[in-house]
Amino acid sequence: MKNKTSSLFLADPSFDSKDFFQKFSNRRSWEPGWLADYRKEKWENFLNFRNQDLKDERWRFSSRSRLDYSKVEKVTESDQTISVNESSKNGITLDTLGKVILEQPSLLSEITNLSGPNLGADESFLLASTFSESGFFLKVDKGTTHSAPLFVDHTAPSSGEVSFSRNLLVLEPHSEVTLIERMASTARSSDGFVTNLTNAIIGEGAKLRRIVIQDFNDKVTLHNLENFDLLKDAQLTNVSLHLGSAEARLETKGSMLGSGAEFENFSLALGREDQLIDLRTMQYHLASNCRSNLVCKNALLNKSKSIFSGMIKVENKARCSDALQTNRNLLMSEEAVADSIPGLEISANEVKCSHGATTSRIDEQELFYLLSRGIKPNHAEKLIALGFFEEVVEKIVLEEQMEIARNLISQKFDS
Amino acid sequence: MISPNDIQIDRNQGDFHYETDYEFDAGVGLSEDVVRYISKIKNEEKWLLDFRLLALSIFERKPMPTHWSSKDLENIDFDVIRYYLSKGQKPSRTWDEVPDDVKETFERLGIPEQERKFLAGVEAQFDSEAAYSRMKGDLEDKGVIFVGSTEGLMDYPELFKKWFGKVIPSSDNKFSALNSAVFSGGSFIYVPPGVKLEQPLQAYFRINAENFGQFERTLIIADEGAEITYMEGCTAPKFETSTLHSAVVELVALKGAKIQYITVQNWSNNVFNLVTKRALAHEEAEVRWIDCNIGSRLTMKYPGVILKGRKARGEVLSIALANDGQHQDTGAKMVHAADETSSNVISKSISIGSGRTTYRGLVKIPGHLKKCKNNTECDGLLINNESETDTYPAITVQGDDNSVQHEASVSKISAEQIFYLQQRGLSESDAMSMCVNGFVNDLIREFPMEYSVELKRLIDLEMEGSVG
Repeated sequence: MKNKTSSLFLADPSFDSKDFFQKFSNRRSWEPGWLADYRKEKWENFLNFRNQDLKDERWRFSSRSRLDYSKVEKVTESDQTISVNESSKNGITLDTLGKVILEQPSLLSEITNLSGPNLGADESFLLASTFSESGFFLKVDKGTTHSAPLFVDHTAPSSGEVSFSRNLLVLEPHSEVTLIERMASTARSSDGFVTNLTNAIIGEGAKLRRIVIQDFNDKVTLHNLENFDLLKDAQLTNVSLHLGSAEARLETKGSMLGSGAEFENFSLALGREDQLIDLRTMQYHLASNCRSNLVCKNALLNKSKSIFSGMIKVENKARCSDALQTNRNLLMSEEAVADSIPGLEISANEVKCSHGATTSRIDEQELFYLLSRGIKPNHAEKLIALGFFEEVVEKIVLEEQMEIARNLISQKFDS
Repeated sequence: MISPNDIQIDRNQGDFHYETDYEFDAGVGLSEDVVRYISKIKNEEKWLLDFRLLALSIFERKPMPTHWSSKDLENIDFDVIRYYLSKGQKPSRTWDEVPDDVKETFERLGIPEQERKFLAGVEAQFDSEAAYSRMKGDLEDKGVIFVGSTEGLMDYPELFKKWFGKVIPSSDNKFSALNSAVFSGGSFIYVPPGVKLEQPLQAYFRINAENFGQFERTLIIADEGAEITYMEGCTAPKFETSTLHSAVVELVALKGAKIQYITVQNWSNNVFNLVTKRALAHEEAEVRWIDCNIGSRLTMKYPGVILKGRKARGEVLSIALANDGQHQDTGAKMVHAADETSSNVISKSISIGSGRTTYRGLVKIPGHLKKCKNNTECDGLLINNESETDTYPAITVQGDDNSVQHEASVSKISAEQIFYLQQRGLSESDAMSMCVNGFVNDLIREFPMEYSVELKRLIDLEMEGSVG
């Protein structure tokens, strides 16, 4: 452990040791050369990356020591942390990363040109690019619309292990699909470290609705990085529900590269015990006439802490941009903390951009109303939280999934 | 209707510069010798010299805050700046004692008339020392003390030493450390218990030597139940190389006191204006910063209020206007440290041409407090296609008995608005001016009358030629 202070150096595995990387490469020597080169390049970038500034604004209010990799002893060698309902018909290709590398590696060649969300967890991006063994690949062919949702399940590795996953979603022009990703600890032992990196390319006129329901157990550390590229007239609705994990660093970036693109990002998080939810987002407008909307709702119990840092960035050429950002924090205990950094960086003048952030407690009158109807205090709090979250839950649209989400939220209050 | 011809005002009047022979000159660059020299010239006591030297070591140790702020800061060359200049004058009591050339400078700034008309006292800073300082008799009778920093610390140590450097410690940031090491000039004001000043006190600052940084130090103490409004307005001659202005302003409002601090900043476009301003509000006290930034190359200023006593109230109202080549990086800090405290921040910024405005805020409410409230609103207006605006508020709230709300929006003047006004016979630039004035109007109304008139004119002046 040479440089513990600069966050992520471990004795074993030591990600920066040549030996460690060599062993990893040998184990995956069956991969195509371009992929091996890519992994090597990212690993070298990672080595150069270490001496970074500790006072990174992108980590403001966060706890790097809680989120770093120092508790990791091993990189999981299994690719079982992600499973999919395989499908390769009707214009849809959905498979695990391992299988795609084995059978059709050329489908993945695009990843060499893709970057992470770049919102602070750069180490995680580089590590996931270097060491990813699990992950999934989804491609929807041109013009294909698939009404039934597709499912992907994530789980956490055993304690002390880290799994690096790399996911790639490609929606060809005018295709349409709904993807549901469920993240949960399946066994008692699955409480390790999860680093999940997702890239999505949403082609011209294509529509993606993606729903993430994260309910890992309360020992998991999660780094979830999402980078979406939206081409002309593409539409993305991204709904994330974070109900579990001990600490989570969540980064979501949507880049509107073509005119007329629409990016909607809705998230909710329920913090309990001493959970840390560190969410960083960016709505990046690079082309004209794009629309983005973000709603982030956090309800915090016990000693939990949430950080919301959202940026709306509008480049000079992005005329007629319309961007909205709303952060609502509901503090349900005396010790809960909510940090909010809603940001704007606007370089074009024909825009409509606004953000709002509020933090407050449960409304006395609402509570009184419920209590006066004979509802017990903790049940009343649950009802209020459910009502608070409903705005995000209803963005799931699928009735069955909405019910699952509501039940999961309720259970947290009952336990 | 304000036509562009009416607005030939003082900005250009300030655009001149005298050859002045300085009696004391600490030379160029910053070193321990310079600090010792300044202290010696001022006949300071040892504790103050030690204070300066400690601050100097802090300044040298602290890095530039470029990990979050503008990289333009790196262009400040601390080695070519003069840190102290003085004619060796004592602050003058009567107008006759003021040297002629200095008098002429003030004449052109229009100070005498303003002072005679309605100002209770004038503390005009010509370079480092107060060249002219006078108070009306009735202020003196009330026991109000209005002096320069050197005089304040020397003649009234029992009043000022207690709070000096306490609201803003030298180690607060790199520039407060710099100021603490080399400060001279500024105003020290003490308002005794229960004294309510009906008229504002005013100070004019001027920079008048090339490459000369001005490091004034202001400390205002309003004792229990006292009320004071203080105004500072700045104009500066234009220079060829950049000038640094780095002030420290500390306000202390004791129980039930009210302080209102008004700034109109219109430095020329080569000045780095890096100012630390903070107030301490005790029980039921009220502190209000009204801040208007129009000039300078880069302004970094985040007036703050530490709400230390129960029911204290803090407010920051700010207007920033950035034209070509300017960056107004302003904001507010509200630190809640007692129950039932409330704070309000309203910031309006206008970016013209390639100008850039930034709002940076901080609101902190810890969990053991009850019934604290904050409201923050920041709106940006972009006039041209290259204009830029950023917003970086940071809000930390703990506990279930506090509430904050924050809102920000960025917009441009809509084509419909301009069309409507043009259709009523206004020229495009008049229509634009009217819309901009409308945008800031509710804030400008909070300024004293003479300032609000001047401000509207300054905005019109800045808007000239920005359309089309």
